[in-house]
Amino acid sequence: MHITKKRHITLKILLFLIGIDLVETFAQFCFKKSSLSLGDIQIQSFGDIPHFIASVLSTPFFWFGLIAVILIFISWSTALSKIDLSVAVPVCSFSYITVPLVSVFFFKEQISLLRWSGIFIILCGVILVSASSREKGSTQ
Amino acid sequence: MTAYILLAVVLILITDFCDTASQLFLKSAINSLDLHVNSIKKAILLAINLIKVPRVWFGFFFSVVSLSIWLYVLTKYDLNFAFSIDSMRYILITLASALILKEKVSVMRWLGIFAVVCGIALVAIG
Repeated sequence: MHITKKRHITLKILLFLIGIDLVETFAQFCFKKSSLSLGDIQIQSFGDIPHFIASVLSTPFFWFGLIAVILIFISWSTALSKIDLSVAVPVCSFSYITVPLVSVFFFKEQISLLRWSGIFIILCGVILVSASSREKGSTQ
Repeated sequence: MTAYILLAVVLILITDFCDTASQLFLKSAINSLDLHVNSIKKAILLAINLIKVPRVWFGFFFSVVSLSIWLYVLTKYDLNFAFSIDSMRYILITLASALILKEKVSVMRWLGIFAVVCGIALVAIG
């Protein structure tokens, strides 16, 4: 059976990708939390790595992050079955907008005006990439 | 101090190369399966079919390497700083999509990706 595949991005896929970004942000938040709860672990040789991994595995936030990663795998595969990799990846740069916001609210990191303008330019880039998937001849 | 920053850049670039490889393996496996996903059931079916494809496991391997290095970087560096260097992945993945997966990357798409990388650079300086 031949299925005519739509390769261009639709509003549904766009919202879906933003949803993936939010889960991705949650995953990053969990991994940062997990790292912070470890304190200052020094890795000086390869022998320290198993100890480092064991410490990471013992933090609950690592496991929350991992569940989020599994969820991302299922939804990301679904998205990739519908659109080009070179479209899906830049559109997912929404996490550059959500991650700094989370950094501000939860880790008290600062956002300057310059940083806000960067966020705006990222948004413009995402719009351009989305539009490019609708151009004639860009479908396979 | 410079060496400290340089180490971060090298480590993050390694994670970007690993992620690019991982995405390439995943996307090429999805292309080869050619499943039409229109329900949650089929999405899970796709994921289950994918984990039976050996090259997806190569992808997982690269993801684990990347995640380990990334976690280490996060223990040492600011999250925003780490994310800004990480923007190199957009160029790597687009190049790989065009050269290996033979996706047609138009001028408009390159412009968009360039804007994304510039924006991330601004976020870094800011």
